[in-house]
Amino acid sequence: MQFNIDLNRLQKSYRIIQAEIHPDKFVSANQLEKEQSLIKSTEVNDAYQTLKDPIKRAKYLIKINLESEKNDSTLPPEFLIQQMEWEEHLESISEQLKELEQFKLLIDGEYQKAMSGLEILCDKDKNWNHAMEILNKIQFIDKLNFKITNQINLIEIK
Amino acid sequence: MALLQISEPGKSTMPHEHRYAVGIDLGTTNSLVASVISGTASILEQKNKERLLPSVVNYSSTNTLVGSEAKELQINNPHNTISSVKRLIGKNLSDIDTKYYSLDLKGDDSVIEIQTDQGVKNPVEVSSDILKKLKETAEESLGNELYGAVITVPAYFDDAQRQATKDSAKLAGINVLRLINEPTAAAVAYGLDQNKAGNFVIFDLGGGTFDVSILNLSKGIFEVQATHGDANLGGDDYDQIIFKWLCKNNEINISDAKIKQQLFSLSRDIKEALTNKTSVKINEKINEKIHIQCELSQKEFEIITKDLTKKTVDSTRQALHDAGLSVSEIQGVVMVGGSTRMPCIQSAVKDFFKQPLLNNLNPDEVVALGAAQQANILAGNTNDSLLLLDVTPLSLGIETMGDIVERIIPRNSTLPVSMGQAFTTYKDGQTAMIIHVVQGERDLVKDCRSLAQFTLKGIPPLVAGAAKILVTFQVDADGLLSVSAKELSTGIQSAIEVKPSYGLSDEKIKKMLEDSFNLANEDKESRALSEVKIEGLQLLEMIENAIKEDPDLLKDTELTLLQKNLSELKKSLESSNRDHIEELTKQLNESSQSFAAKRMDRSIHKALTGKSINSLEF
Repeated sequence: MQFNIDLNRLQKSYRIIQAEIHPDKFVSANQLEKEQSLIKSTEVNDAYQTLKDPIKRAKYLIKINLESEKNDSTLPPEFLIQQMEWEEHLESISEQLKELEQFKLLIDGEYQKAMSGLEILCDKDKNWNHAMEILNKIQFIDKLNFKITNQINLIEIK
Repeated sequence: MALLQISEPGKSTMPHEHRYAVGIDLGTTNSLVASVISGTASILEQKNKERLLPSVVNYSSTNTLVGSEAKELQINNPHNTISSVKRLIGKNLSDIDTKYYSLDLKGDDSVIEIQTDQGVKNPVEVSSDILKKLKETAEESLGNELYGAVITVPAYFDDAQRQATKDSAKLAGINVLRLINEPTAAAVAYGLDQNKAGNFVIFDLGGGTFDVSILNLSKGIFEVQATHGDANLGGDDYDQIIFKWLCKNNEINISDAKIKQQLFSLSRDIKEALTNKTSVKINEKINEKIHIQCELSQKEFEIITKDLTKKTVDSTRQALHDAGLSVSEIQGVVMVGGSTRMPCIQSAVKDFFKQPLLNNLNPDEVVALGAAQQANILAGNTNDSLLLLDVTPLSLGIETMGDIVERIIPRNSTLPVSMGQAFTTYKDGQTAMIIHVVQGERDLVKDCRSLAQFTLKGIPPLVAGAAKILVTFQVDADGLLSVSAKELSTGIQSAIEVKPSYGLSDEKIKKMLEDSFNLANEDKESRALSEVKIEGLQLLEMIENAIKEDPDLLKDTELTLLQKNLSELKKSLESSNRDHIEELTKQLNESSQSFAAKRMDRSIHKALTGKSINSLEF
């Protein structure tokens, strides 16, 4: 299995499978088939959610490939400094829509850059330890992005 | 349990005859029943040729009236006439504002009771009387006994409200094929009718509930991306604003239930008149003392109700955000529910989405029509393929130390969904544990909706922290929660006792069901026996066929065990020993689990390869 997958095909396969096993197909079936359909359909939903989302997909890939379970999310010190700077910046512009939108563009770019890096580490280098580190970065960036979007929404509601 | 349409042994794989299935929109103000007749979904009319059944029930000491007959008694007999019961279902007294009801409401922490001349009624019974009436209408107009029904609920209904709705249907003797969400049903009617594809918003403002769902539609697939709403917001609230405005403007203070009811009706009439008039003059003599004279313009109505309208727009914005979509990515906005006729709602939604709204299906009927189409498909009457993938409207969580909620299943998860959570004991020898399940998006337990307390019993006594209990929360395709638990080190399945926070306990429902059948004891016994026999027979036939179809999926030892269980069950089915048949059915069910799972995997594989997807390596 690769990190870089065809999302269209994923969705197609998901729909084909659910069309076959969803509990709606077993409304008039007996208890045994109803239970099995519920179990399988639930599993397939879980699998789809895991594969659809790049962060969850990477987490899963790393989990099945990384030998040791230990996950000491060490981030390089320069990224920690970067983190603090971004957080401070967000605080300073939290009421300014234009600046927030600009900041969001910058963070989106950082996200894309880190994702491309992650793809190479997973699919080419198979360097799972390093992939873990980048994934931690991405998770931080994702959370930050969420905060920015929320802030933008708050201003728009007002 | 449906006792209908069971074919004879050996014939179960034959194409079956038509099953009479309906869709029911159990609304706050009005209810409808629809069915697919010769390929087209149609509303089934009542005897009086009406399409809408007012959701009103009157209980006099001798008689129960449902619909327009009950509605006529609303003003003169307010204490016995129950309307908007949907707002009470799955609730307790502290949830509702009793001053807006002209009813005598009592009850305890978990359920509301209504005092009538016919005795105490709970909301499940009242809903069930409405459903009985709809069932009657359907059976009369279809000329056949019903096989089952799809019943719609607001997408934003919580677990207690869904469970109570399902209980009402059972009490009415209806086989519930599925509970589906109202906006999803509307999308089905709309999507199948117009053959649309893309991202669609269903904006559904009914009499008492508001939902907004974002769906992705494509050739027979309806995938809900996100849903939001308010289970306590609807046209009724707009009436109440007018009611308050009338009282304030005419300086009246009322406590009399009859006058209150008259003013409510007047308020509703004013609201409806404002749909196509820019202003309404009111000149109404209520009694000797109260004479209402005033004028309400559409503009002013819009202003006094703007907080309500804003709530619907905020929910819509949130749903769009949760779906990860922007306004420009929406291909259509479908308006559902009678309350979307209000011009202030139309303009607010139009302004938000910056596009014309889709109003071409009757907003009162579209939910029932979609439910009927889904019912027809679930009953197996058509080869049309339709896949509805709906989501949980609210997050499910459990109470942890310090009144904090730990989220287990996030909102907008596609159904069915399950999540496991491991717990451990904190005392040596501890054998029981309580898990409090709540629903909602807030961090504190007190701000969420309490669903139930689950008591786990039979945990093996070990030192503190040694037992590992895996608790699994499963939400099924009806959106209903069930919980199971297993101790991992010993594999012991723990017993779970459920105490629902709202609604009726399982025992109470069971008793109500038994009372409703009102059968003599021997009838009850023979009914129970035939149910058990049918279930045993169905399983037996299914396994026999399965063995013929997929013999290669069974190891010799498994086959031998299955054949032994099969012949035992077959023999017992000739007897009248209910317990024995039940026991052997259970045994066969257990011994065929892994076989059934393998068959399901095979059907997945076949479906994928059949559809020319060259490999399965994901």
